[in-house]
Amino acid sequence: MYDLAIIGGGPAGYNAAERAGAKGLSVILFEKKNLGGVCLNEGCIPTKTLLYSAKLFDNAKNASKYGIQVETAGYDFTAMMDRKNKIVKKLVGGVGVKMKHNKVEVIKTEAMIKGRSKEGIEIKAGDNLYTAKNLMICTGSESAIPPIPDLDQSSEYLLTSREMLEIEKVPESLIIIGGGVIGMEFASLFNSLGTKVTVVEMLDKILGEMDDELSKMLLDNFTKKGVDILLSAKVLEIKGKKITFEKDGKSTSINADKILLSTGRKPITKGFGLENIGVELFGNGIKVNEKMQTNVPNVFAAGDVTGYSLLAHTAYREAEVVVNNLTGSNDHMRYNAIPSIVYTNPEVSSVGYTEKLAEEKGIKYKVARLPMTYAGRFMAENEGENGLCKVLVGDKYGEVLGVHMLGNPSSEMMYGAAIAIENEMTLKEMQEVVFPHPTVSEIFKEVIFSF
Amino acid sequence: MAVPVIMPRQGQSVESCIITELFKSTGDAVQKGELLFSYETDKASFEEEAQESGTILTVFFKAGDEVPVLTNVLVIGEAGESFEEFTPGEVGTISAVTENTSKETTLVQEEMANNTIHESTRIGSSGGQQFISPRAKHLAEDKGIDISLIAGTGPGGRIIERDIIQAAEKGIKMTPLARKMTASENLTSRISGSGLAGAVTSADLAAIAQSSGDDYEISPLSNIRKIIANAMHQSLQNSAQLTHHLSADARSLLALRQQAKQKMSEGDPSNITINDFLCLAVIKTLKKYAQVNAHFLGDSLKKFKNVHLGMAVDTDRGLMVPSIRNADILSIRELSTEIKNIADACRKGSVDPDILSPEAASFTVSNLGNYGVEMFTPIINLPQVAILGVNTIVPRPKDLGNGVYGFVPHIGLSLTYNHQAIDGGEATRFLKDIALEIENLEVEF
Repeated sequence: MYDLAIIGGGPAGYNAAERAGAKGLSVILFEKKNLGGVCLNEGCIPTKTLLYSAKLFDNAKNASKYGIQVETAGYDFTAMMDRKNKIVKKLVGGVGVKMKHNKVEVIKTEAMIKGRSKEGIEIKAGDNLYTAKNLMICTGSESAIPPIPDLDQSSEYLLTSREMLEIEKVPESLIIIGGGVIGMEFASLFNSLGTKVTVVEMLDKILGEMDDELSKMLLDNFTKKGVDILLSAKVLEIKGKKITFEKDGKSTSINADKILLSTGRKPITKGFGLENIGVELFGNGIKVNEKMQTNVPNVFAAGDVTGYSLLAHTAYREAEVVVNNLTGSNDHMRYNAIPSIVYTNPEVSSVGYTEKLAEEKGIKYKVARLPMTYAGRFMAENEGENGLCKVLVGDKYGEVLGVHMLGNPSSEMMYGAAIAIENEMTLKEMQEVVFPHPTVSEIFKEVIFSF
Repeated sequence: MAVPVIMPRQGQSVESCIITELFKSTGDAVQKGELLFSYETDKASFEEEAQESGTILTVFFKAGDEVPVLTNVLVIGEAGESFEEFTPGEVGTISAVTENTSKETTLVQEEMANNTIHESTRIGSSGGQQFISPRAKHLAEDKGIDISLIAGTGPGGRIIERDIIQAAEKGIKMTPLARKMTASENLTSRISGSGLAGAVTSADLAAIAQSSGDDYEISPLSNIRKIIANAMHQSLQNSAQLTHHLSADARSLLALRQQAKQKMSEGDPSNITINDFLCLAVIKTLKKYAQVNAHFLGDSLKKFKNVHLGMAVDTDRGLMVPSIRNADILSIRELSTEIKNIADACRKGSVDPDILSPEAASFTVSNLGNYGVEMFTPIINLPQVAILGVNTIVPRPKDLGNGVYGFVPHIGLSLTYNHQAIDGGEATRFLKDIALEIENLEVEF
């Protein structure tokens, strides 16, 4: 009998296991593949590793702007991939160590929920039956396949992000279907490596829900670098290396060596016996309340499987909410200050309300913006580049509602903005915070003072 | 020369004040104009300045003590001087200083907030009844602090202003936005909220405001409502009323109504209703019971010779009870017309106010049968002795003779009477007679 059984060893699962184990609960974790989930094995970490190599290459190519001479800048894709694999392996190993440290029993087998008994929830894995008082479902998500007629998913040219991270050779040309976060990161990576990249996006903007102004800036930035971005373009057909899309009422066909499908992700709710205990779904994901409880008592869900906020850091926090409530401290999930980062070069970072969302919700706000070059450090390290920092505050009290930035390394600054939003800090409090000088983060302070 | 400093009287009604803080203690040197102590009444807080320079010879009270006004609080003088004579309780201690006392009426909230407050305030541990100074209560409301979570440090655990200030400063973790909102929008808070580590957020405040603030509206009573409210309350307060329920076979009533309908279809202009026939039966019975057709006057009973029948009428503006004077001399047609006319007049607002007075009627009928009411306890229009409530007609089993039972329509009757005026037996006989009258009603029209 375990206090907590967890199905899925991704960010939600392993974080819950670690926290619960540390608090003395007996925890069993089922993972059919590798610990770390999509994030560690085929998502966040491998892409960021490769993107860093690409950024270094960008810097090498632009070294002369900084007075540095690089005779011949080049890259070794195999070495890049080897390094990526090494890092993934090390981090996955690290998760395993954490599980051991916290006395979490890890079962590397597919789990199947069998039902409920008087004792608890029964889970079958291999030939063994396990019983737990509480169950946490963290089965994550997979790439969503768009409804394109006669799509041959087995085509060697058609890849999702997972296969893209296993390719052996940099393609000469690449068509990316879907200009969201994943699509644009791959566009950034392969554009840096010299691939002819074309992004086909159905909407009239890239980066989905991100701030319109920043989305446009990144589009212009990438267009200048030679990425072809086709907006309001609907893919009609994919045949081998050829895709046909409709734009402005005209249908056009283009070819590429590889075609990446990055049209979002969908929760995995089938194949592990959810139906045996009657867990209710909402949309594609598992329905949960603010304490991550499902409709079934003692059954929780966290991470991508809820289909709500498909981000590793959301999953971490959701997992902690579950563990806190299980161990006697009242906690609930808040989604108002979840940062959202696009790790392109340059990075686009955002937390809180965008102007569009604030308008939709009828929130009265004031907005101020400044170019990133107002921060001396940004000037020093980003020759010839520009970016933007945009802050939304409440009209009446000046509480920080949203912070949006384009420029490196904005991803590292977002937690500060998240703290401001979580704490409902107003301009007055923000003005009293000391920002280290010289850092790019000072741009936030500059904008605060420009209201 | 040693001079006592008294607790000033702030207003005629103030009997005592609470010392909120002492700025000087025994042995301290004090300059004229320096602050000695702060204190609060139920309505405001004040500060007391030294009128003399010297040394504090003694302080009789400590912070938090409730001190009767004009009582000596401390003594200023030269070191070594005697102060025994000023000890509170001694006769003659109230000196001429009274008039000189500075009446510093500045509010000291700001300064209080900046001062270090030594005693700790326990939060979240109080139970039972709470005493709070109105001043503290006001501040708590201003700052949006839930006083049930504060333990007072005043006399007997009474919550005083500084408790609120402390709670506001330390006790409740609020986001800066929530703090600003409570200060400017008069919102109340809880001790913990849904933000980081339980901080109260703007969303919490909004939720509380929604659940406790604006979900009602206070509308003043109309004049007629006030009069009804008063009359009904007076009736229950000033009489010994109770209700008997009984039902009468309604077949005759229904047959009469059927007859009236028949006549109407033949061109008769009168629409005589069940209520009209029923009133007729009541009037006939009242003629036999003078002690019910009466006003109870405390030491006498005013028995009416004629029946002045009050009729409860439901109108948009409220209940009205007009009376039909000398109803016993009216034919059924006249009675029917009269009932209709006065009910219409009430609804239109054109009724003669004289006939609305409870004294105008000798007995009242209130008919709720139309609404399907099966039983109720009408309230007497004092000084009348009784009121008859008429209920809906329902089928009841009845012995039809020879052991045959059938369902027979019965009309319910609820008689409320003032036991001060008549007894249960009389009331029952009267009610039974009404039932008999209804069951055997024969009317030519």
